[in-house]
Amino acid sequence: MQEFINQFFDVGFMLDHFDEVLEGFWITLQIFIFAGIISLIWGLVLALMRQLPGGATKPLRFLTIAYIDVFRAIPLLLFIVLIGTGIPSLEFLPEWLRLPQWLGKPDTFWLGTFALVVVYGAYMAEVYRAGIEAVPGGQMEAARSLGMNHGQAMKNVIVPQAIRKIPAPMLNELNTLMKDTTLVSAIGLNEVLQVASDVQSETFNSSALTLGALMFLVILLPLARIVDRLIARNRGQVTRGSHMEVA
Amino acid sequence: MSESMLKLEGIQKRFGSLEVLKGINLEVARGEVVCVLGPSGSGKSTLLRCVNLLEPPEGGEIFLEGHDICKGPNSGTGEQSWELDFVRQRVGMVFQQFNLFPHKSVLENVTMAPVKVLGKDRAETDRKARALLDRVGLADKVDQFPERLSGGQQQRVAIARALAMDPHVMLFDEVTSALDPELVKEVLDTMRELASEGMTMIVVTHELGFAREVGDQVVFMDGGVVVEQGRPADVLDNPREPRTQKFLGLVLEA
Repeated sequence: MQEFINQFFDVGFMLDHFDEVLEGFWITLQIFIFAGIISLIWGLVLALMRQLPGGATKPLRFLTIAYIDVFRAIPLLLFIVLIGTGIPSLEFLPEWLRLPQWLGKPDTFWLGTFALVVVYGAYMAEVYRAGIEAVPGGQMEAARSLGMNHGQAMKNVIVPQAIRKIPAPMLNELNTLMKDTTLVSAIGLNEVLQVASDVQSETFNSSALTLGALMFLVILLPLARIVDRLIARNRGQVTRGSHMEVA
Repeated sequence: MSESMLKLEGIQKRFGSLEVLKGINLEVARGEVVCVLGPSGSGKSTLLRCVNLLEPPEGGEIFLEGHDICKGPNSGTGEQSWELDFVRQRVGMVFQQFNLFPHKSVLENVTMAPVKVLGKDRAETDRKARALLDRVGLADKVDQFPERLSGGQQQRVAIARALAMDPHVMLFDEVTSALDPELVKEVLDTMRELASEGMTMIVVTHELGFAREVGDQVVFMDGGVVVEQGRPADVLDNPREPRTQKFLGLVLEA
């Protein structure tokens, strides 16, 4: 038992390595914030392209659907490795794109963020789509009959209502995204997993990894409670507003 | 009352293999109230939706104030076009399910389109919207959200919302069918008032009393065709066609 505790829960060891693990976790948080915000925006763009009306936009709709399907089917770890190792080898790209070092962050940070955004944008698009499709069709008709074009109706009527319907699934996606940022360690970014497993391979003590896990818990456990509360609140809203949903 | 506001010539519409409208002809004069009756599935609602191009017709012509709105490169595709702007800024529509915007207050429901579509001044639009809501008897509800209102009140907001665009024609699609019986009158009263002020109206309804009292013309549809049309007294009291007689018999029995 003592051996087990020493291996995974050595508090003194954790305190010795706390600063470097926290530094790694800070990188993790930053990549999460960048990838989270950008994929929330990119996902909405994809969802809106998917909902474009008319015949002229059919090719764009088709491409959007293909994008969403493809990137939800590719393993994220594989894609991160593909981007992280492939892009820097493309000699014809300008260096600021091939090896981006913006804001003093290494290229692995930005290539990892890019890969996460590409894939999570597709997931987010599906969540937005569920929200958009949950808005009753009469809303679009009412907006159009008042003279709004498709874009005005989306902006003023459909999307504001769609977003109110999806905070819980959206937070679930963000939860998964945050955990998946650890996959960027595969291309050598010194985020929390990389730092903690370096410690482990030097000392054969796993407590730094446990410490990293605990840091995730500090952020993500409250998030789970928030999701529960949002789901409960939404259920309440649906019940109260049910007279609106007849037919 | 002879100036033609709206003229439909041979309007056809099909959904897949189902032919919903089989060549509808109808002429509506400025200031006229046309009530459209008929069993469910007869194509009444589709006809209204053709008039404001929510469902672009596949055959025939629609003339709105003399302009053919079925011509043009994008007509029939449902895409934005000159016709759509022209039509939707002249034709207001009120729906069975109200379709108020639940995330906006009553006032914002009414002001949204004038501000966002016509780019009207916010303060002036607010003033006008309050006057419209006052007119439909809801001056005290301006800051409420739709879900706090009764069905009848919501429907009156929907009427005010359509009127805020200064339409020349108003379409009413079974606007009292989703209401509890005691709430029907307040909506019909609002429509009566609108008719008396000279609004051109096409009203799809099952309210025979309203059609008799307010209608200048009654149209009975069945199976995608106009079976009978004429003055309310003629169609409702002395129907010539057996199908009209049967329908009216069933409605009066209930």
